Amino acid sequence: MSQTVEDTWIIPETLERDRLEAVLAQQFDVEAMPEYGAVVTYMDTFDWRLYQAGMLLHMHRRSWTLYEKSGELILLKGGPNCKKGCMVEAFPEGPMRAALAQVVGIRALLPLAKVELHGRQLHLRNKDDKIVLRLVLEEQRLPGENQAFRMARVFPLRGYEEELEAVRVLFQTQGIIQPVSPLVGFEAGCLAAGRKPLDYSSKLVLDLEPQMTALEAMRKVYLLLLAVIRRNIPGAVADLDSEFLHDLRVAVRRTRSALSQTKGVFAAEALKPFREGFADLGRATGPTRDLDVYLLIEAACLARLQPELRVGLQAYFADIARQRRKAQRNMARFLCSDKVNQFLQDWEDFLRMEIPPGGPLAAKPITKLASRIIRKHSAKVLQDGQNLSADTPDAEVHQLRIECKKLRYSMEFFSSLYDENNFSQLLKPLKAVQAILGDFNDLSVQQEHLLESISTMHVHNNTEAGYIAALGALMQSLYEEQEPLRDHFAEVFASMASDEQLERIASLFGKKQPI
Amino acid sequence: MSILAVYSIKGGVGKTATAVNLAYLASQTGTKTLLCDLDPQGAASFYFRIRPHHKYSAKKLLKGGTHLEDGIRATDYPGLDMLPADFSYRNIDIALDEQKKSERRLAKVLQPLSKEYGRIVLDCPPNLTLLSENIFYASDIILVPMVPTTLSLLALKQLYTFLDELGSGREKVRIFFSMVERRKKMHRQMIQAMHNKQGVLDAAIPHNADIERMGLYRQPVTAAQPSSVAADAYKNLWSELING
Ligand SMILES: Nc1ncnc2c1ncn2[C@@H]1O[C@H](COP(=O)(O)OP(=O)(O)OP(=O)(O)O)[C@@H](O)[C@H]1O
Ligand SMILES: [Mg+2]
Repeated sequence: MSQTVEDTWIIPETLERDRLEAVLAQQFDVEAMPEYGAVVTYMDTFDWRLYQAGMLLHMHRRSWTLYEKSGELILLKGGPNCKKGCMVEAFPEGPMRAALAQVVGIRALLPLAKVELHGRQLHLRNKDDKIVLRLVLEEQRLPGENQAFRMARVFPLRGYEEELEAVRVLFQTQGIIQPVSPLVGFEAGCLAAGRKPLDYSSKLVLDLEPQMTALEAMRKVYLLLLAVIRRNIPGAVADLDSEFLHDLRVAVRRTRSALSQTKGVFAAEALKPFREGFADLGRATGPTRDLDVYLLIEAACLARLQPELRVGLQAYFADIARQRRKAQRNMARFLCSDKVNQFLQDWEDFLRMEIPPGGPLAAKPITKLASRIIRKHSAKVLQDGQNLSADTPDAEVHQLRIECKKLRYSMEFFSSLYDENNFSQLLKPLKAVQAILGDFNDLSVQQEHLLESISTMHVHNNTEAGYIAALGALMQSLYEEQEPLRDHFAEVFASMASDEQLERIASLFGKKQPI
Repeated sequence: MSILAVYSIKGGVGKTATAVNLAYLASQTGTKTLLCDLDPQGAASFYFRIRPHHKYSAKKLLKGGTHLEDGIRATDYPGLDMLPADFSYRNIDIALDEQKKSERRLAKVLQPLSKEYGRIVLDCPPNLTLLSENIFYASDIILVPMVPTTLSLLALKQLYTFLDELGSGREKVRIFFSMVERRKKMHRQMIQAMHNKQGVLDAAIPHNADIERMGLYRQPVTAAQPSSVAADAYKNLWSELING
């Protein structure tokens, strides 16, 4: 019904474009728009945010075109020249930036595929000279290749369905019968560049099977996490955006968490160097991430302050940015080192051994082990959480947050072994608890950091005094946000510990039993 | 959604020329816009080269829902759709009279369109009838083109009397001068006398050959000649209407 629905068809090789236009001209007045041709670079985030949202973005020099899901187009002349990748902030304020910001967020837009586009738009008009249908005849080919995708893209106009039908019939008589995605060129370009749409997601998608042994299953978990680590290293090293490092660190943490949760699956002695190696990886990437987290909230922090105090805070963030540049360089050197390379290779070799050294639980069914682990962590969280109230000391809140994280990780590793619906019902309140504890903890860590900065400073002049005043004001503002969160602890936790949830835990993961 | 009616009791004052151009300008701001041609003569439809669907009629308009929606057709301009007039609209008052709450029917059938359209522009026929009453009731703004002559003043008085009788708002009315010829003394004097009155806008549309020729090239002048004097005049009118 909407005028923007389009459909796209392959033009058979034997059908010349002139011939097709001539046939159309028998029924309509065909007005041909100027021919276009360009090698465009398709852009998307590493995790395909635009593609997932049904959007397509390409760049030709500084001209940008965004196809929205509705079929609408946004054009921008004089956008950023984005050879390596760029953030949304590089775009001038306007509809393009607004549309992108919603979807892309804090990820960088990266060049993914180059495709040569050639074609022209035809307007089909009726006797009254009214446009009744728009048609784009386009060739898409990879630069330097002969073979092209030739396609006709139909853009119907609302209220002119009869004309649309007539064009469909006419297409059939000309052998235009094979529908095709208008993204074929894009997808082929991605393949040529070694990527495939949706080949990366920061979500852990694991499908374990219930009959797997613990060793087989954990091997699969670790290999997947290893792949995530490896895929994110280049982006973290090149510093394309902060999410590469974030995803890398999450994968490292998940690996470490799995290593300690599933003791006994592999031989403890054999795992020892790997546990240490992953701890090193966590340590080496920590400082940069911590500083990233501050920089990500820079704008929000500035907005908290009275305008005259902002100058001081800007100086504070400028300093953090400097520290971060240094930390990132050190980290990049480490991530590129032979040591790290070798370590990851050793880990892979170990996992791929035909019969890796197993521990006492290696041959147990994974479902049993998984249930035991989740049961154990649930019990711990439920017990510690019982006492959670507005008066719980920060340190205990922090401890509970860690327990929740362990539970969450174990649930994510093994989710494919359980009933999806029940499982997600369990996850929901856990996520809510984690969200509030996470916010609480972030605010508390930020205040500590500010306090530490303040206490190590000596005031020599007005600038420095302004700096300290700003940090003080920010601390106060963070504190005022943090404290009221406490009032919600008990209520959020209660939804996790309801009878219904307890029953669900019992039915999914069973009762305690020897393994 | 807001509904803008371009209305005058008098014929030939530039209602259609205005409705067509303002609808186009509205769509250009990124707001999806619908132009409804309510005049059985179908001048606005003609400007967009759109004929009504052969199954479409006044009855379908008043039935509303999909009956009405199936009558909507896209113009050549993205973001601007049109509900063309059908010749059967000439009997619309009779059809309206058969409806319950007959003076609110139009408002009722237009209401659901707000999901799709941010703005609706109505091009109205020149008379004072039950349809006019419907139009006043449905609209947020009643925009009245006024050729600066004494006769127009009379028509405006009639409109106000009618609105007062309905007990519905004079405050919806906005007046602008149309087909203004500065070299005519009477035009200058009228504008001078009126320009401070309530609801009278500063923006005016001159008598202009490019507007006159719209019937030949069958496009809004704002689309065909976007940097002409005529287009500028409509842009000013639009911005005064929107920004006050
Ligand atoms: N500003 C203008 N300058 C010159 N000619 C104009 C102008 N506005 C409208 N016209 C011409 O005057 C005639 C009447 O204009 P239009 O159809 O817009 O008026 P109307 O009020 O809608 O008429 P009707 O009452 O018949 O619907 C048309 O031929 C149109 O081209
Ligand atoms: Mg008219």
